[in-house]
Amino acid sequence: MGEIYGALAMFDTPEQIVEAARRVRERGYVRFDCHTPFPVHGLEAAMGLTRSKLPFLVLGGGAMGVLAAILLQWWTGAVDYPLLIGGKPYFAMEFATPVTFELMVLFSAFTSVFGMLALNGLPMLYHPLFNAEIFARVTDDKFFISIEAIDPRFDRGHTVEFLRSLGASEVVLVEE
Amino acid sequence: MSTVSEQMTRPRLVLGEQTYHTITEAISKIVEEKTPREWYIAFGITGGMTVMLGAMLAYLVMTGIGVWGNNIPVGWAWDITNFVFWIGIGHAGTLISAILYLFRQKWRTSINRAAEAMTLFAVACAGIYPLFHVGRVWVAWWLFPLPYSQGMWPNFRSPLLWDVFAVSTYGTVSLLFWYVGLIPDLATLRDRAKSKIKKFLYGVFSLGWRGSVRHWRHYEIAYLLLAGLSTPLVLSVHSVVSFDFAVSILPGWHTTIFPPYFVAGAIFSGFAMVMTLMLLARWAYKLENFVTRVHLDNMCKIMLATGTIVGYAYATEFFIAWYSANKYEQFTFMNRAFGPYAWAYWIMISCNVISPQIFWFKKMRENVVVMFIVSIFINIGMWFERFVIIVTSLHRDFLPSSWSYFKATYVDICTFIGSFGLFLTLFLLFTRFLPIIAIAEVKGVLAHELHQHGHGAAGSHGGKH
Amino acid sequence: MAEKFRLEEQMVQRMRTPLVWSAVVGWIGCFIGYVIDAKQFHFSYLVSIIYFLSICLGALFFVMIQYVCTAGWSVVVRRIAETVMRNIDVCAVLFIPVLIGIPHLYHWVHPEPNDIILQKKAGYLNIKFFVARAVVYFGIWVLISRAIYKHSIAQDEDGKAEHNRRSMKWSAPGILLLFLSGSLAAFDWLMSLDPHWYSTIFGVYFFSGSAVAFVALLILFSMYLRKRGVLSKEITHEHYHDLGKLLFAFTVFWAYIAFSQYFLIWYANLPEETGWYLHRQEGSWLWVSLLIVFGHFLFPFLALISRIAKRNLKFLSFMAMWMMVMHYVDIYWIVMPTLSHHGVHVHWLDVAALLAVMGTLGVVFVSRLGKNAIVPIKDPFLSESLHFENV
Repeated sequence: MGEIYGALAMFDTPEQIVEAARRVRERGYVRFDCHTPFPVHGLEAAMGLTRSKLPFLVLGGGAMGVLAAILLQWWTGAVDYPLLIGGKPYFAMEFATPVTFELMVLFSAFTSVFGMLALNGLPMLYHPLFNAEIFARVTDDKFFISIEAIDPRFDRGHTVEFLRSLGASEVVLVEE
Repeated sequence: MSTVSEQMTRPRLVLGEQTYHTITEAISKIVEEKTPREWYIAFGITGGMTVMLGAMLAYLVMTGIGVWGNNIPVGWAWDITNFVFWIGIGHAGTLISAILYLFRQKWRTSINRAAEAMTLFAVACAGIYPLFHVGRVWVAWWLFPLPYSQGMWPNFRSPLLWDVFAVSTYGTVSLLFWYVGLIPDLATLRDRAKSKIKKFLYGVFSLGWRGSVRHWRHYEIAYLLLAGLSTPLVLSVHSVVSFDFAVSILPGWHTTIFPPYFVAGAIFSGFAMVMTLMLLARWAYKLENFVTRVHLDNMCKIMLATGTIVGYAYATEFFIAWYSANKYEQFTFMNRAFGPYAWAYWIMISCNVISPQIFWFKKMRENVVVMFIVSIFINIGMWFERFVIIVTSLHRDFLPSSWSYFKATYVDICTFIGSFGLFLTLFLLFTRFLPIIAIAEVKGVLAHELHQHGHGAAGSHGGKH
Repeated sequence: MAEKFRLEEQMVQRMRTPLVWSAVVGWIGCFIGYVIDAKQFHFSYLVSIIYFLSICLGALFFVMIQYVCTAGWSVVVRRIAETVMRNIDVCAVLFIPVLIGIPHLYHWVHPEPNDIILQKKAGYLNIKFFVARAVVYFGIWVLISRAIYKHSIAQDEDGKAEHNRRSMKWSAPGILLLFLSGSLAAFDWLMSLDPHWYSTIFGVYFFSGSAVAFVALLILFSMYLRKRGVLSKEITHEHYHDLGKLLFAFTVFWAYIAFSQYFLIWYANLPEETGWYLHRQEGSWLWVSLLIVFGHFLFPFLALISRIAKRNLKFLSFMAMWMMVMHYVDIYWIVMPTLSHHGVHVHWLDVAALLAVMGTLGVVFVSRLGKNAIVPIKDPFLSESLHFENV
């Protein structure tokens, strides 16, 4: 057996995993994660995770969009190549509003998606957990807890035993 | 709490004895099974239509815009009608996904994926028309503010340029929203894939998703934000489309209610199209447990509501045209209802305002055949709405000597049919290669229902076979 | 249970006293004002009654939407909304001075003899038909609001879910009727102040503002109860968060409608339409217009966009108060330029009329609220509402 990535425990229901996550955290593990086929209500709280900071990034993205749109329309229309059309002013917030709005939304949407991927460290096509055969069911109907070997409290025997005691239907060690 | 003599409970949204595993099975199966023969037949037909679209567009580019029936004073006709028609259809997709998500309407989960896909394909179809109507399609990139040798910039005072921004933003954001929703389901397909190629492709596109709660945390917020952004975006896109008409000074086009009226119409037509497609998919793929009567009932109610709003807009326009005491306004509306295009006007009224009124009756909201017929009526009626607005306002302009009657050419007609071909081809490809129902989300709803109905730890006794 | 959710008599008293004073002082003021300057009185009064009526109509709209969607989360605040909506009948009585003031308020009563446009409109804009329409509008609103209110109260006794279904049956066509009658009412009472001007979106504009003001009132009143220990556990942060979202959404929707109207008129630049906005840019009216742009949209948009702001009850109450003021400014800005063309002219009668209408409506509202439980105690979805959480 090569390097060990950590221990992986499989649970059958959302209720079980919420309880198990709470216990793992209470035990003092830090380098652990849960894996579920759909977002499970209350699990983030049980793991002690704070709310995502993504909205603040997106706010910034939206503000950039507004700024970019106004500068673009003002500079092209009123500075670089002023042209009188239809008796309208070279620049006015009235007609600039639609494009400003669209770019605000576009920039915000890009920030949401790419910000989310960046915060999650995705795409990451290889991950040691994929080595575990049972892990294929994480996208189907099973709920997992993984505890990494680099966690200071990790101990092959004890950790596996502890995970079993939480009601896991299967516990395996995952190779790096 | 004191006794409640009669219970009123929430109807269940996932029917049958489902576990998480059976949901995975039921939906993945559609993609994994051997391609049915019917699919090939359907694909052959729609593919042929798409080829026709290509041929028509090629003919148009080689010959000129004159192959369409547009001619002064009717400078805009089927092209813009079809553009608005397709964009409108797209809107229900976003709406089902985004607004119903924000309103915590759990019933959306069964239909949102297909609806979002529909949005993308409809936007693709819509884009064709203005793109080719510019004439020299090979310089269509001039529409974007890109520096090039002439040193000029696009005119930001023109509503047509706002359209460029609105529609391209809309296409992009819809794609992102759809794709973000797909990631966990692509991972499901990846984990079930038998062949190397499939595993590789689904693997790459699922970005290595491993259901981590640390990821779900950001993922859910990103999804919520996208929903929050898409909602005003839908409103803005169709408002901008309405500006194409409403900023002008043409009676019948210039009226202040246009933005919300166009948005309501878009939702209306889009829901009708979702209804048509979902009824077909439900029947073809036997999805009765996921697209339940509750879903259909709700969709009927939304069509009734939006149809009535559209009726409200027609009535208001008519009333204010009279109230304005402006004779050009009055003439335009009388001409619409009783002039040479009266037939189109009354088709519009019967299909859009009258036909959905049947959904006041619960019996009718339970009858799949009636629903299907009405949804087709609405599709037709909403096409006519755009036709009526565009052509009847133009064909009798301020100079009676130039009045005329628009006739569509065979190129107009074949291009329009061809765009249906493109739309359906894309939709068929989608049902073949991607999960047509949001697997992860339906599981979330199931978990909620199991929890609510006291089944508690019903989890997954399905097991893997 | 029923007792727990009933306002104590003492508390009803405490709420009533200042309202009674407000009504008494307001009506005395109105009476004096009427004698001194009838025209000013009628305009000030029109602003006040439209302001409060729009809030009641907002409540009616809110309640019907909740029934049509079988919404669960809002059940705990629905009785408050229902009581506000029930007050439309008082508004109907309070509307009589407007009908009396038609010749003062509406230019179309005595048009210039060569005004062809107004001659063409005379079939619609004449006193008899105007009054008849007002009677019909109020008839519709009172009928619907009474029916729904009655079912809700009856459910407190027998707990039958049948009442929800009946209310739903009233609500679906009710929304349609409300939109039709409300739009026409907005055309009649507000748009026809400038009888040459027309805008098809005006009815929607009126409703969007009403919805903002009503949600703001709902937040404020719930918060008031909370301070006095009523429903402080039942109406949770989750509910305020949702109400905050609604306040935000309606504010944005209002801005969308307001922008659409202004923008299309600005762009097309047709003289028969631009006049209305030009009046509102004359003299100090320009500042009011700008105040509306910033105060009714930009500021609340930025202030309410974050989740933290919507969950901070102190801040949310401030914003609700702010939006209620802004809605008043909006109505004032629609009505008053007809009276004082060249600039804002704040008059003490504006305050007197406000006090009179607020006091009268408030007294009835409080006593109606005191008579019944303050939440629909036997609504089948009450427990869902009590336990609900934002995702």
